[in-house]
Amino acid sequence: MKYDTDKNLLLVVCTHCGSIFNKKHTICTNCNSTMTQRKKHAFIKTLCFTLISIIFFIPANVLPMMHVTTLGTVDSSTIFDGILYFIDSKSYGIAAVIFIASIMVPIFKLMVLLFLLFVVYFKKTQFARTAIKYFRIIHFIGKWSMIDIFVVALMIVIVQFGHLTSISAGAAAPSFTVVVIMTILATQSFDTRLLWDEE
Amino acid sequence: MKMHQNKIACKECGLILKKPKADHTHQFTCPRCKACVYKFGQDYETIILMTLTSLILFFPSITLPLLTLKIFELEQTTTLIETVFIFFDNGYIGVSIFITLIGIVIPFLMLLLILFILIPLKNGSSHKKVSGFFKLYEYLLEWQMAEVYLLSIFVSIIKLNKMATLHVETGLYFFCAFLVFMFITINFFNPYDIWNKNEV
Repeated sequence: MKYDTDKNLLLVVCTHCGSIFNKKHTICTNCNSTMTQRKKHAFIKTLCFTLISIIFFIPANVLPMMHVTTLGTVDSSTIFDGILYFIDSKSYGIAAVIFIASIMVPIFKLMVLLFLLFVVYFKKTQFARTAIKYFRIIHFIGKWSMIDIFVVALMIVIVQFGHLTSISAGAAAPSFTVVVIMTILATQSFDTRLLWDEE
Repeated sequence: MKMHQNKIACKECGLILKKPKADHTHQFTCPRCKACVYKFGQDYETIILMTLTSLILFFPSITLPLLTLKIFELEQTTTLIETVFIFFDNGYIGVSIFITLIGIVIPFLMLLLILFILIPLKNGSSHKKVSGFFKLYEYLLEWQMAEVYLLSIFVSIIKLNKMATLHVETGLYFFCAFLVFMFITINFFNPYDIWNKNEV
Protein backbone atom coordinates (compact mmCIF):
# COMPACT_ATOMS: atom_id res chain seq x y z
CA MET A 1 0.00 0.00 0.00
CA LYS A 2 1.30 3.41 -0.97
CA TYR A 3 0.96 6.14 1.59
CA ASP A 4 0.82 9.87 0.87
CA THR A 5 3.96 11.02 2.62
CA ASP A 6 5.66 14.37 2.26
CA LYS A 7 8.41 12.71 0.25
CA ASN A 8 6.05 11.04 -2.25
CA LEU A 9 4.01 14.20 -2.79
CA LEU A 10 7.18 16.38 -3.07
CA LEU A 11 6.24 18.48 -0.09
CA VAL A 12 8.20 19.80 2.85
CA VAL A 13 6.82 20.05 6.37
CA CYS A 14 7.90 22.68 8.86
CA THR A 15 8.74 20.63 11.97
CA HIS A 16 8.29 23.69 14.13
CA CYS A 17 4.79 24.92 13.30
CA GLY A 18 3.47 22.13 11.09
CA SER A 19 2.83 24.12 7.91
CA ILE A 20 3.18 22.29 4.61
CA PHE A 21 4.92 23.75 1.54
CA ASN A 22 6.08 22.63 -1.87
CA LYS A 23 9.54 21.10 -1.92
CA LYS A 24 11.34 24.17 -3.32
CA HIS A 25 10.67 26.23 -0.19
CA THR A 26 13.43 26.27 2.42
CA ILE A 27 12.15 28.87 4.87
CA CYS A 28 8.74 28.61 6.48
CA THR A 29 6.70 31.76 5.82
CA ASN A 30 4.68 31.17 8.96
CA CYS A 31 7.43 31.01 11.57
CA ASN A 32 10.73 31.72 9.74
CA SER A 33 12.31 28.33 10.55
CA THR A 34 14.51 26.62 8.00
CA MET A 35 12.92 23.50 6.60
CA THR A 36 14.38 20.27 5.23
CA GLN A 37 12.43 17.24 4.14
CA ARG A 38 14.39 14.98 6.52
CA LYS A 39 16.74 15.95 9.31
CA LYS A 40 20.21 16.43 7.86
CA HIS A 41 22.66 13.49 8.30
CA ALA A 42 20.24 11.88 10.74
CA PHE A 43 21.46 8.32 10.15
CA ILE A 44 25.18 8.98 10.45
CA LYS A 45 24.72 11.23 13.49
CA THR A 46 22.67 8.64 15.34
CA LEU A 47 25.20 5.96 14.43
CA CYS A 48 28.14 8.00 15.74
CA PHE A 49 26.45 8.97 19.00
CA THR A 50 25.43 5.35 19.56
CA LEU A 51 28.97 4.08 18.97
CA ILE A 52 30.46 6.67 21.34
CA SER A 53 28.06 5.68 24.09
CA ILE A 54 28.78 1.97 23.57
CA ILE A 55 32.50 2.69 23.97
CA PHE A 56 32.01 4.76 27.12
CA PHE A 57 29.59 2.23 28.60
CA ILE A 58 32.47 -0.13 29.45
CA PRO A 59 34.54 2.24 31.67
CA ALA A 60 31.31 3.52 33.20
CA ASN A 61 30.59 0.07 34.60
CA VAL A 62 34.10 -1.20 35.30
CA LEU A 63 35.70 1.84 36.94
CA PRO A 64 34.72 3.09 40.41
CA MET A 65 31.83 5.53 40.60
CA MET A 66 32.77 7.11 43.92
CA HIS A 67 35.41 7.00 46.63
CA VAL A 68 34.28 7.24 50.24
CA THR A 69 37.11 8.27 52.57
CA THR A 70 36.46 7.54 56.25
CA LEU A 71 39.28 8.39 58.68
CA GLY A 72 41.95 7.90 56.05
CA THR A 73 40.70 4.63 54.53
CA VAL A 74 39.41 4.88 50.98
CA ASP A 75 36.45 2.75 49.89
CA SER A 76 35.80 2.73 46.14
CA SER A 77 32.60 1.40 44.63
CA THR A 78 31.34 0.85 41.09
CA ILE A 79 27.71 1.22 40.02
CA PHE A 80 27.13 -2.47 40.63
CA ASP A 81 28.70 -2.30 44.11
CA GLY A 82 26.22 0.44 44.91
CA ILE A 83 23.34 -1.85 43.96
CA LEU A 84 24.77 -4.70 46.05
CA TYR A 85 25.10 -2.29 48.97
CA PHE A 86 21.39 -1.51 48.82
CA ILE A 87 20.50 -5.21 48.61
CA ASP A 88 22.69 -5.94 51.65
CA SER A 89 21.04 -3.18 53.62
CA LYS A 90 17.60 -4.53 52.62
CA SER A 91 16.49 -1.46 50.63
CA TYR A 92 15.25 -3.59 47.74
CA GLY A 93 13.13 -0.82 46.22
CA ILE A 94 16.07 1.55 45.83
CA ALA A 95 18.28 -1.28 44.58
CA ALA A 96 15.70 -2.01 41.88
CA VAL A 97 15.44 1.66 40.90
CA ILE A 98 19.22 2.04 40.57
CA PHE A 99 19.58 -1.27 38.72
CA ILE A 100 16.83 -0.39 36.23
CA ALA A 101 17.95 3.21 35.78
CA SER A 102 21.70 2.75 35.47
CA ILE A 103 22.18 -0.72 33.99
CA MET A 104 19.00 -1.92 32.28
CA VAL A 105 17.91 1.37 30.73
CA PRO A 106 21.26 2.23 29.06
CA ILE A 107 21.62 -1.28 27.60
CA PHE A 108 18.01 -1.25 26.40
CA LYS A 109 18.49 2.19 24.86
CA LEU A 110 21.60 1.12 22.98
CA MET A 111 19.86 -2.02 21.69
CA VAL A 112 16.84 -0.03 20.51
CA LEU A 113 19.09 2.54 18.79
CA LEU A 114 20.91 -0.24 16.95
CA PHE A 115 17.54 -1.75 15.96
CA LEU A 116 16.35 1.62 14.63
CA LEU A 117 19.54 2.01 12.60
CA PHE A 118 19.10 -1.53 11.27
CA VAL A 119 15.51 -0.81 10.18
CA VAL A 120 16.53 2.41 8.44
CA TYR A 121 19.65 1.04 6.76
CA PHE A 122 18.07 -2.12 5.35
CA LYS A 123 14.70 -0.40 4.59
CA LYS A 124 12.73 -2.92 6.63
CA THR A 125 9.56 -0.84 6.56
CA GLN A 126 7.50 -3.73 7.92
CA PHE A 127 9.24 -3.18 11.28
CA ALA A 128 8.58 0.54 11.28
CA ARG A 129 5.58 0.38 13.60
CA THR A 130 7.44 -1.71 16.20
CA ALA A 131 10.50 0.49 15.86
CA ILE A 132 8.62 3.71 16.51
CA LYS A 133 6.99 2.17 19.58
CA TYR A 134 10.42 1.41 21.05
CA PHE A 135 11.70 4.82 19.96
CA ARG A 136 8.97 6.45 22.03
CA ILE A 137 9.85 4.26 25.02
CA ILE A 138 13.55 5.20 24.96
CA HIS A 139 12.63 8.82 24.35
CA PHE A 140 10.58 8.75 27.55
CA ILE A 141 12.92 6.77 29.83
CA GLY A 142 16.15 8.31 28.55
CA LYS A 143 16.66 10.90 31.22
CA TRP A 144 16.10 8.53 34.14
CA SER A 145 19.55 7.00 33.71
CA MET A 146 20.99 10.29 34.98
CA ILE A 147 19.86 9.35 38.49
CA ASP A 148 23.13 7.71 39.54
CA ILE A 149 25.16 10.74 38.47
CA PHE A 150 22.88 13.01 40.47
CA VAL A 151 23.16 10.76 43.52
CA VAL A 152 26.96 10.82 43.45
CA ALA A 153 26.95 14.58 42.92
CA LEU A 154 24.60 15.19 45.82
CA MET A 155 26.53 12.87 48.13
CA ILE A 156 29.74 14.78 47.39
CA VAL A 157 28.03 18.02 48.30
CA ILE A 158 26.23 16.86 51.41
CA VAL A 159 29.12 14.89 52.93
CA GLN A 160 31.90 17.42 53.48
CA PHE A 161 33.55 16.73 56.81
CA GLY A 162 37.18 17.18 55.87
CA HIS A 163 39.37 14.36 57.19
CA LEU A 164 36.58 12.61 59.02
CA THR A 165 34.45 11.60 56.05
CA SER A 166 34.41 12.85 52.51
CA ILE A 167 33.21 11.53 49.18
CA SER A 168 34.77 12.15 45.78
CA ALA A 169 33.69 11.13 42.30
CA GLY A 170 35.46 8.29 40.49
CA ALA A 171 36.37 7.99 36.83
CA ALA A 172 33.07 6.25 36.03
CA ALA A 173 31.04 9.38 36.76
CA PRO A 174 32.19 11.38 33.71
CA SER A 175 32.07 8.28 31.49
CA PHE A 176 28.53 7.53 32.56
CA THR A 177 27.54 11.15 31.97
CA VAL A 178 28.95 10.85 28.44
CA VAL A 179 26.93 7.65 27.87
CA VAL A 180 23.68 9.32 28.91
CA ILE A 181 24.30 12.55 26.98
CA MET A 182 25.25 10.64 23.85
CA THR A 183 22.16 8.44 23.95
CA ILE A 184 19.97 11.51 24.40
CA LEU A 185 21.71 13.22 21.46
CA ALA A 186 21.28 10.04 19.40
CA THR A 187 17.52 9.94 19.94
CA GLN A 188 17.34 13.68 19.32
CA SER A 189 19.14 13.55 15.98
CA PHE A 190 17.23 10.51 14.75
CA ASP A 191 14.47 11.20 12.22
CA THR A 192 11.57 8.79 12.74
CA ARG A 193 10.23 9.52 9.26
CA LEU A 194 13.20 7.62 7.83
CA LEU A 195 11.66 4.40 9.17
CA TRP A 196 8.86 4.62 6.62
CA ASP A 197 10.86 5.80 3.63
CA GLU A 198 10.99 3.12 0.99
CA GLU A 199 13.42 4.59 -1.48
CA MET B 1 1.86 32.15 0.45
CA LYS B 2 0.89 29.04 2.35
CA MET B 3 0.51 26.25 -0.15
CA HIS B 4 -1.52 23.59 1.61
CA GLN B 5 -4.02 25.03 4.01
CA ASN B 6 -6.39 22.09 4.20
CA LYS B 7 -3.74 19.49 4.90
CA ILE B 8 -1.89 18.48 8.01
CA ALA B 9 1.25 16.39 8.36
CA CYS B 10 2.27 13.88 11.00
CA LYS B 11 5.66 15.07 12.20
CA GLU B 12 6.80 11.60 13.26
CA CYS B 13 6.16 9.59 10.10
CA GLY B 14 5.63 12.24 7.45
CA LEU B 15 2.12 11.12 6.49
CA ILE B 16 0.01 13.83 4.87
CA LEU B 17 -3.52 13.88 6.23
CA LYS B 18 -6.64 15.83 5.47
CA LYS B 19 -7.26 18.37 8.14
CA PRO B 20 -10.17 17.13 10.24
CA LYS B 21 -13.05 19.51 10.82
CA ALA B 22 -12.75 19.11 14.59
CA ASP B 23 -12.54 22.08 16.90
CA HIS B 24 -9.43 22.53 19.02
CA THR B 25 -10.77 20.63 22.01
CA HIS B 26 -10.26 17.11 20.74
CA GLN B 27 -7.05 15.30 20.18
CA PHE B 28 -6.40 12.99 17.29
CA THR B 29 -3.62 10.61 16.39
CA CYS B 30 -1.83 9.64 13.21
CA PRO B 31 -3.46 6.51 11.68
CA ARG B 32 -0.12 5.06 10.65
CA CYS B 33 2.29 5.63 13.52
CA LYS B 34 -0.20 6.47 16.31
CA ALA B 35 1.62 9.70 17.13
CA CYS B 36 -0.42 12.44 18.72
CA VAL B 37 -0.98 14.90 15.88
CA TYR B 38 -2.99 17.39 17.86
CA LYS B 39 -3.28 17.67 21.61
CA PHE B 40 -5.31 20.37 23.24
CA GLY B 41 -3.84 22.53 25.97
CA GLN B 42 -5.32 24.70 28.69
CA ASP B 43 -6.02 28.35 28.03
CA TYR B 44 -3.25 30.91 28.46
CA GLU B 45 -4.57 32.43 31.70
CA THR B 46 -4.42 29.09 33.53
CA ILE B 47 -0.91 28.44 32.27
CA ILE B 48 0.35 31.89 33.30
CA LEU B 49 -1.14 31.40 36.75
CA MET B 50 0.46 27.98 37.18
CA THR B 51 3.80 29.28 35.93
CA LEU B 52 3.78 32.13 38.42
CA THR B 53 2.96 29.71 41.25
CA SER B 54 5.89 27.49 40.35
CA LEU B 55 8.23 30.47 40.00
CA ILE B 56 7.29 31.71 43.47
CA LEU B 57 7.89 28.23 44.90
CA PHE B 58 11.27 28.07 43.17
CA PHE B 59 12.98 30.69 45.33
CA PRO B 60 12.32 29.20 48.79
CA SER B 61 13.16 25.76 47.43
CA ILE B 62 16.69 26.76 46.49
CA THR B 63 17.47 29.07 49.40
CA LEU B 64 15.95 27.23 52.37
CA PRO B 65 18.00 24.42 53.93
CA LEU B 66 17.42 21.08 52.25
CA LEU B 67 19.03 18.61 54.63
CA THR B 68 20.98 18.58 57.87
CA LEU B 69 23.58 15.88 58.29
CA LYS B 70 25.08 14.97 61.64
CA ILE B 71 28.15 12.81 62.19
CA PHE B 72 29.25 12.58 65.86
CA GLU B 73 29.18 16.24 66.91
CA LEU B 74 29.64 17.77 63.47
CA GLU B 75 26.58 19.25 61.84
CA GLN B 76 26.17 20.39 58.28
CA THR B 77 23.21 21.99 56.58
CA THR B 78 22.94 22.07 52.81
CA THR B 79 20.81 24.20 50.54
CA LEU B 80 20.39 23.65 46.83
CA ILE B 81 22.18 26.87 46.00
CA GLU B 82 25.18 25.83 48.11
CA THR B 83 25.52 22.61 46.14
CA VAL B 84 26.54 24.68 43.15
CA PHE B 85 29.38 26.43 44.98
CA ILE B 86 30.71 23.31 46.69
CA PHE B 87 31.11 21.65 43.29
CA PHE B 88 33.23 24.49 42.03
CA ASP B 89 35.46 24.40 45.09
CA ASN B 90 36.10 20.70 44.58
CA GLY B 91 37.09 21.00 40.95
CA TYR B 92 34.35 18.96 39.27
CA ILE B 93 33.62 21.86 37.00
CA GLY B 94 32.37 20.04 33.89
CA VAL B 95 30.06 17.62 35.64
CA SER B 96 28.89 20.26 38.09
CA ILE B 97 27.91 22.78 35.41
CA PHE B 98 26.00 20.06 33.57
CA ILE B 99 24.16 18.84 36.65
CA THR B 100 23.25 22.30 37.87
CA LEU B 101 22.06 23.16 34.37
CA ILE B 102 19.72 20.25 33.86
CA GLY B 103 18.59 19.94 37.46
CA ILE B 104 17.94 23.55 38.42
CA VAL B 105 18.67 26.14 35.74
CA ILE B 106 16.76 24.60 32.82
CA PRO B 107 13.49 24.03 34.75
CA PHE B 108 13.65 27.65 35.93
CA LEU B 109 14.48 28.89 32.45
CA MET B 110 11.60 26.93 30.93
CA LEU B 111 9.12 28.56 33.26
CA LEU B 112 10.49 31.99 32.36
CA LEU B 113 10.22 31.07 28.67
CA ILE B 114 6.55 30.15 29.08
CA LEU B 115 5.97 33.65 30.46
CA PHE B 116 8.04 35.20 27.66
CA ILE B 117 5.90 33.35 25.12
CA LEU B 118 2.46 33.87 26.61
CA ILE B 119 2.57 37.42 27.99
CA PRO B 120 3.48 39.07 24.65
CA LEU B 121 0.85 36.92 22.93
CA LYS B 122 -1.81 38.03 25.37
CA ASN B 123 -0.83 41.63 24.73
CA GLY B 124 -1.39 41.13 21.03
CA SER B 125 2.14 40.52 19.72
CA SER B 126 2.56 38.53 16.55
CA HIS B 127 3.42 34.83 16.59
CA LYS B 128 6.64 35.34 14.71
CA LYS B 129 8.12 37.47 17.49
CA VAL B 130 7.85 34.73 20.10
CA SER B 131 8.81 31.82 17.88
CA GLY B 132 12.46 32.12 18.93
CA PHE B 133 11.55 31.59 22.58
CA PHE B 134 9.27 28.78 21.54
CA LYS B 135 12.03 26.99 19.63
CA LEU B 136 14.30 27.23 22.66
CA TYR B 137 11.51 25.92 24.89
CA GLU B 138 10.93 22.98 22.57
CA TYR B 139 14.65 22.18 22.62
CA LEU B 140 14.99 22.45 26.40
CA LEU B 141 12.03 20.13 26.95
CA GLU B 142 14.32 17.16 26.37
CA TRP B 143 16.99 18.43 28.72
CA GLN B 144 15.00 19.24 31.81
CA MET B 145 15.51 16.55 34.41
CA ALA B 146 14.19 18.13 37.59
CA GLU B 147 12.09 15.10 38.48
CA VAL B 148 15.13 12.85 38.16
CA TYR B 149 16.96 15.26 40.44
CA LEU B 150 14.22 14.96 43.05
CA LEU B 151 14.30 11.16 42.99
CA SER B 152 18.07 11.24 43.33
CA ILE B 153 17.72 13.41 46.44
CA PHE B 154 15.57 10.66 47.97
CA VAL B 155 18.04 7.96 46.97
CA SER B 156 20.94 9.84 48.53
CA ILE B 157 18.90 10.43 51.69
CA ILE B 158 18.42 6.69 52.05
CA LYS B 159 22.08 6.07 51.25
CA LEU B 160 23.32 8.64 53.75
CA ASN B 161 20.93 7.52 56.47
CA LYS B 162 23.20 4.52 56.99
CA MET B 163 26.24 6.75 57.47
CA ALA B 164 24.92 9.53 59.64
CA THR B 165 21.84 11.11 61.17
CA LEU B 166 19.80 13.06 58.66
CA HIS B 167 17.09 15.63 59.10
CA VAL B 168 14.88 16.68 56.24
CA GLU B 169 14.36 20.44 56.29
CA THR B 170 11.71 22.72 54.79
CA GLY B 171 13.60 23.32 51.55
CA LEU B 172 12.94 19.77 50.38
CA TYR B 173 9.18 20.16 50.80
CA PHE B 174 9.29 23.39 48.82
CA PHE B 175 11.34 21.69 46.13
CA CYS B 176 8.77 18.87 45.88
CA ALA B 177 5.95 21.39 45.60
CA PHE B 178 7.87 23.34 42.98
CA LEU B 179 8.39 20.21 40.89
CA VAL B 180 4.75 19.13 41.14
CA PHE B 181 3.57 22.53 39.93
CA MET B 182 6.19 22.69 37.20
CA PHE B 183 5.23 19.25 35.98
CA ILE B 184 1.56 20.22 35.81
CA THR B 185 2.39 23.49 34.03
CA ILE B 186 4.52 21.83 31.38
CA ASN B 187 1.89 19.16 30.74
CA PHE B 188 -0.97 21.64 30.52
CA PHE B 189 0.87 23.96 28.18
CA ASN B 190 0.58 23.01 24.55
CA PRO B 191 2.91 25.34 22.62
CA TYR B 192 1.34 24.34 19.31
CA ASP B 193 -1.77 26.25 20.30
CA ILE B 194 0.22 29.33 19.34
CA TRP B 195 0.05 28.22 15.74
CA ASN B 196 -3.51 26.94 15.87
CA LYS B 197 -5.10 30.05 17.35
CA ASN B 198 -4.99 32.11 14.16
CA GLU B 199 -6.70 29.40 12.15
CA VAL B 200 -9.80 28.87 14.27
